[in-house]
Amino acid sequence: MSVIAPKFRLGYFLKGIFDNAFWILTLVTLAGIPTIQIALFLIPLPVINGQLLTAYLAFTWLFNPTMQIPLIKALLYSDLFRIAAFPGFGFAALIAAGTIFVERKMLAKLQLRVGPFYCGKIEGILQLVADGLKLISKEIIIPAKADKPLFWAAPVLFVGTAAAFVALIPVAPGGWVVADLDVGLLAVFAVIGFFPIITILSAWSANSKFPFIGGIRALHQMVSFEIPLILSLLGVVILTGTLNLSEIVESQSSFPWIIFMPIGAIVFFITVLAELERIPFDLPEAESEIVAGWLTEFSGMIYGLVQLGSYLKLYAFAALFVIIFLGGWTGPVFWPPLDVELITEGIPIPNYVGDPILTVTTPGLPLLDKDPNEWVMQQQGELVYTSGQLLVSGVIWFVLKTVGVIFFILLPRGVFPRIRLDMLLHIGWYKLIGLSFVNIFIALGLVYAGVIGPGGIL
Amino acid sequence: MAEQVIPTKKMPPGLQVENVDDRIMTLNVGPQHPGSGHMRIIVKIDGDYIVDADPDPGYVHRGEEKMAESRNYITNIPHLERPVIHDSCNILYPYILGVEDLVGIEVPERAKYVRVIAAELNRCIYIQYWLAIYGIFLGHSTMFMWPTGDRELLIDLMEKITGARVTHAYFIPGGVRNDVPANFEDVCLRQVNYFEKRIKEYADIFYDNPILKARTEDTGVLSREDAIRLGTTGSVLRASGVDYDLRIKEPYDVYDELDVHTNVLKEGDSYARSKIPWLDMLESCNIIRQALEKMPKSGSIRKKLKPNPKGRNDEVYHRVESGRGSAGCHIISREKPEPYRLKLSVSSFRNLIALPYLLKGEKLGNMPAVYWSLNYWPVEADR
Amino acid sequence: MSTSETTPPPKEIPPPKAAPPEKTKPPVPAFEKSYVDQITNQFSDDVEVEYIKENRTRVNVKKEKIAEVAKFIKDNTPFDHAESVTGVDFPEDKEIGVIYHLGSYTDPTYSKQVLALATRVPREENPNPGNDSTKLQSLRDMFYSVEFHEREIFEMLGVYFEGHPDNRRLLLPEDWADLPPLRKDFKNRGR
Repeated sequence: MSVIAPKFRLGYFLKGIFDNAFWILTLVTLAGIPTIQIALFLIPLPVINGQLLTAYLAFTWLFNPTMQIPLIKALLYSDLFRIAAFPGFGFAALIAAGTIFVERKMLAKLQLRVGPFYCGKIEGILQLVADGLKLISKEIIIPAKADKPLFWAAPVLFVGTAAAFVALIPVAPGGWVVADLDVGLLAVFAVIGFFPIITILSAWSANSKFPFIGGIRALHQMVSFEIPLILSLLGVVILTGTLNLSEIVESQSSFPWIIFMPIGAIVFFITVLAELERIPFDLPEAESEIVAGWLTEFSGMIYGLVQLGSYLKLYAFAALFVIIFLGGWTGPVFWPPLDVELITEGIPIPNYVGDPILTVTTPGLPLLDKDPNEWVMQQQGELVYTSGQLLVSGVIWFVLKTVGVIFFILLPRGVFPRIRLDMLLHIGWYKLIGLSFVNIFIALGLVYAGVIGPGGIL
Repeated sequence: MAEQVIPTKKMPPGLQVENVDDRIMTLNVGPQHPGSGHMRIIVKIDGDYIVDADPDPGYVHRGEEKMAESRNYITNIPHLERPVIHDSCNILYPYILGVEDLVGIEVPERAKYVRVIAAELNRCIYIQYWLAIYGIFLGHSTMFMWPTGDRELLIDLMEKITGARVTHAYFIPGGVRNDVPANFEDVCLRQVNYFEKRIKEYADIFYDNPILKARTEDTGVLSREDAIRLGTTGSVLRASGVDYDLRIKEPYDVYDELDVHTNVLKEGDSYARSKIPWLDMLESCNIIRQALEKMPKSGSIRKKLKPNPKGRNDEVYHRVESGRGSAGCHIISREKPEPYRLKLSVSSFRNLIALPYLLKGEKLGNMPAVYWSLNYWPVEADR
Repeated sequence: MSTSETTPPPKEIPPPKAAPPEKTKPPVPAFEKSYVDQITNQFSDDVEVEYIKENRTRVNVKKEKIAEVAKFIKDNTPFDHAESVTGVDFPEDKEIGVIYHLGSYTDPTYSKQVLALATRVPREENPNPGNDSTKLQSLRDMFYSVEFHEREIFEMLGVYFEGHPDNRRLLLPEDWADLPPLRKDFKNRGR
């Protein structure tokens, strides 16, 4: 009677289970465990309380309440955590997911709709998960005459490049950045330069007309807007005298650079819109002209990867705008750490029977401070990391500012139509480059007039 | 043999078509393309410039004219509105006028006013849909959502009148199918007033948008002489400076008793062509208000018709101004219940001829703006 | 081949059609008559007035003279564009009628007028569109707007228009191998 599994037989069912169990066990034994061993051999293990953290010790400490916080702390301060989770990919992907949700809902409100509504019960908050699952489960169709290695490589390269861009972004004081380079801004320019190459490669490899036109358009657009992008940031470099992004942020502890360089900020914002292919400049994906531009032949998760990469890129550009013009994580600290004297000297409590000196061992948040005496060591210049409170406060300010910039990047989508290629190139080559030179002259003027810069009055 | 009647459009300098075949790329825009509608435009491009465009309609050809020859005058009504279901009253209007002429039946005064109201509401419904697609063709997604949302107002109104949301089949020879509901005047007036307030807001976000203006002004310019020579009609014609609106020039039903104004712009570019329908909607609101005021409050809505009316041995050709332009219906009749030959002379088919002419020498990015500004409805052109 | 025999008789056959409007509507509108007279005066024996009704007139022309008459209308009357072209199949007469509806945008006094310029071409029992006697001069040089209409008539009725730059299919599929579908001997399935 059952129509769900008409040819069901218990023997075959059990055979399937045993088969799977056999193969899983075999593969884990022959491949999985040796891989873990090799990996553990290669990864430098941290030293906690004078003991090298081996795998056995880690499992032991996992159930030891007194050792759990040092264990987690060791994880938090490892390179892997930085690359995968907090300042790196995971954090950026989380903001990117939030961006997609905000974009949909905001655009919907702007257009008198409701947007995603049912998935996840609360305002369609799980819509992105559903879309992701759909993209993963879809077949990846590759054109018959495509250059298959390049066609496969392009989305991966795109995400990789976007993640490399994300890795250069410092998000909190005390070197919370994956790659803290002295030439950080130069590295940013170098990474941005990869995007047109990846785009044109993928467009060419699809061996189709609409992707090709879209790729050519993307190439035109990105190459011609990279010049004003780089030039518009040079003003800040002239004023701060450094290319390190963390130092650029620290130079804005009293005022953000946008006060002195609004022209540069505007030029940079417009070029960011163009580099991101957002709506007034979404010519490479112009739907009504060239189907979906260079994304036409992508399907399934290949398309999903490109979208992920483009939203990572969106986050990275917004963060770059915050770092360069809006002062990064600088802002009022919500909950300042305790005074240094509390640890070193303590406060005498009068009329107290016991020990009259009150001291504390930790000035900030125990989990986020790397060392219990971190604040003291930082005051004495011995530590590069910062205390937990400053970290939390900095991240909150940074995220707030970044979300604000992302909001302004999303907003034109509801307001403007698409512009044309010749108008775009005209804007890029004539207007923006000229304006960014004006910005550079303003910066030079400020330096030579002695207002800001080394030895300036401000 | 055939001398070139239309002067060749001025091409941008440096653009040569001959002997550079390897530079020419042929694009099939459509039938499965988000920027084509139900048709194909075979576009040849040289770089970013279009050197040749060949429209290829017919993907939704349904043989309405052939079908009409085997159905009688009444059963023809529902399927003849299928070419433009969004403008179903107006596309049916010339056919109904023609049948009334052939059968020899007078329409009651109240029915004429109801017809005018329904036709103007339908014009607005069509133009809203057209405008939505024009918005999304230019990448302006808000302009896609707003008209489709505001259009619901009028669709609800039409549903109250006719019982159907889009395919009304409301006009019949001798009047309209059923009477308007009670307190229709108040509801209609309120909704039309609100609708007018809403569509005036479109100017802020769309028609006064500097990017839109920079993009569509001076693109696809159709001069007055060429508009006449190409036989274009409706908004395309009036955007090129020809004052020709059949509601004024050849008033049918009660349009001669109403104060109808027409909108004429001189530029003849895509921007003007896209603005005329919007101005028409504002004018339609005026016409509806006037018609509601002058409409007889009671009276017959329909003249009784013989069950299977036969035409006389004659031919008629009636025209009305639809949402896109002149819609004509040529009926050749014998003394039979079916038309001998029925020809729908629709404006989309007439405006299509301007497309290859306008696209030549334009940039590829202008293609959607020029194409959809022709107020073109592919299904209507295919019939 | 059969052109010379078949064309004169059809000119005598229309009268049953033309008769009823003449007797029912005695007053002939003067304005409409004026411009029709202009055409009949010029081509006295080649054209024949079918009816002159209010705002609508129809003139039947011999098929050899259609281009000439159209050129005269274009040059000497305000009719400047063709609104529609209708093709009609008359199997009893072994003819296919082609009716051009001409209108005027330039002259406001003519804006109500529609002049139907009708002609008939011989009809083949076994049509071979483009290669049989069903041929007509194209009016594209006079009225540019007939271009697509004539293409439609070519595919729908098999009338080949000489002098038309591209007599390709427009609405029908490229591989249509049946009769031209608007002929009366093309039967709708199920009807």
